[in-house]
Amino acid sequence: MINHHPKIELLIQYVNGELPASISAGIKIHADLCPKCNNQIIELTKHAAETSFAQEDTLVGIGSEVLSLKGDEPEYNFDAQSMINNITDMPAETELKVDDTPVSITLRGVEYELPNVMKHMSLGKPAQIGKLSRSRILLDEGHIHSSLLRIEAGGSIPEHTHNGYEITLLLEGSFKDDMGEYVAGDFIVLDGKHQHQPMSELGCLCYTVVSDSLHFTQGINKLLNPIGSFIY
Amino acid sequence: MQVVQSSLSNKITGHIISSMHSPIENTDICLWLNAVATSRDKSAFTQLFHFFAPKILNISKSKLSNKTLANEVVQETMSNVWKKAHLFDESKGAPTTWIYTIMRNVTFDILRKLQSNKEDNLSDDIWPMVEMAEVDDEPFSDHLEQKQILSVIDKLPQNQQEVIKGFYFMEMSQEQLAQHLDLPVGTVKSRLRLALIKLRGLLGVNND
Ligand SMILES: [Zn+2]
Repeated sequence: MINHHPKIELLIQYVNGELPASISAGIKIHADLCPKCNNQIIELTKHAAETSFAQEDTLVGIGSEVLSLKGDEPEYNFDAQSMINNITDMPAETELKVDDTPVSITLRGVEYELPNVMKHMSLGKPAQIGKLSRSRILLDEGHIHSSLLRIEAGGSIPEHTHNGYEITLLLEGSFKDDMGEYVAGDFIVLDGKHQHQPMSELGCLCYTVVSDSLHFTQGINKLLNPIGSFIY
Repeated sequence: MQVVQSSLSNKITGHIISSMHSPIENTDICLWLNAVATSRDKSAFTQLFHFFAPKILNISKSKLSNKTLANEVVQETMSNVWKKAHLFDESKGAPTTWIYTIMRNVTFDILRKLQSNKEDNLSDDIWPMVEMAEVDDEPFSDHLEQKQILSVIDKLPQNQQEVIKGFYFMEMSQEQLAQHLDLPVGTVKSRLRLALIKLRGLLGVNND
């Protein structure tokens, strides 16, 4: 059962198109698995549309508004008529093709089917350290790095904190940390206040978005610093 | 019954929200979209253009703080409206939501091109236009909300309950209801209106 959902503030930014592609995709993956958030997104979108397209000129009555708009030409800083002419010269688009071919990735011989939202994202070559495998998602978002991360059965990530934030969307399998157990679809956000050491008994695949490098907290793990840049 | 009940909660809250600020005449917009879809009607498109373009322009000016890009959003959004009008499905949601989605997606792709220099047009994977259907057959959706609405309906006077239930549960038109309850249409309309005002108060929907 999914227990971790994106906060409403995040859903609102998502609906407004204000989040980076990486985080938006994470929310989409979650919403496809979580009817509650999906319905909330539908309502928020409806609401955003209504508030965007309803403006002060609404003082004019419902029926007359349209007529009055026809009368006083709205102001544009471009030639509206020629834009309309250009557009109406275009042919209608034939039916949208829905490409349902699944995309997949093979990490250490295990093939994973990836969510639809990743269809047009390119992946880097998989790299490995111990029981961790990682493939970068090449989104070019500057200091925001996204990856597919696989923890093999019995594997764990050394205890660490975050300078920025870390969003983990569990795609398959499960893992746990000192805050509890997570299942597929869980949308987990951690920031500098948290410290954790995720470990996976049976293995898992995660979609991760990290905004800054991780900070390892345990003495000996400081030697493992390569893992920091590996996960980031 | 399950299906009817869950669409009920959406419908009632949806109705209240849209009647809160409903300066937009969705039926006109639907008519124009239909005219574009079925007969590539240029004058209907012109109506749509003058209704939406100034609003889109304002929104994108504030989002992109760049006039040229803001114009590009208008051009792209309205082109998509023209080219895809036949894909709009009234039964799946309001036309304003459909156009908003196009505008949001266009803006997202332009911003991404600007910030990451990527032309991968991911917006349609993140917010697919073909998926705009409302999920109303979700058995485990919002039980709490439904229960709340149902219990609130029970607090209405009997005659208001009749119209609200007929209208939302059984999806009867006001005319059908009038016939069914053997009342003048005007009475059905005013009971419905009173019931909605009352429901709004009971559900605590604010007039913001
Ligand atoms: Zn959720």
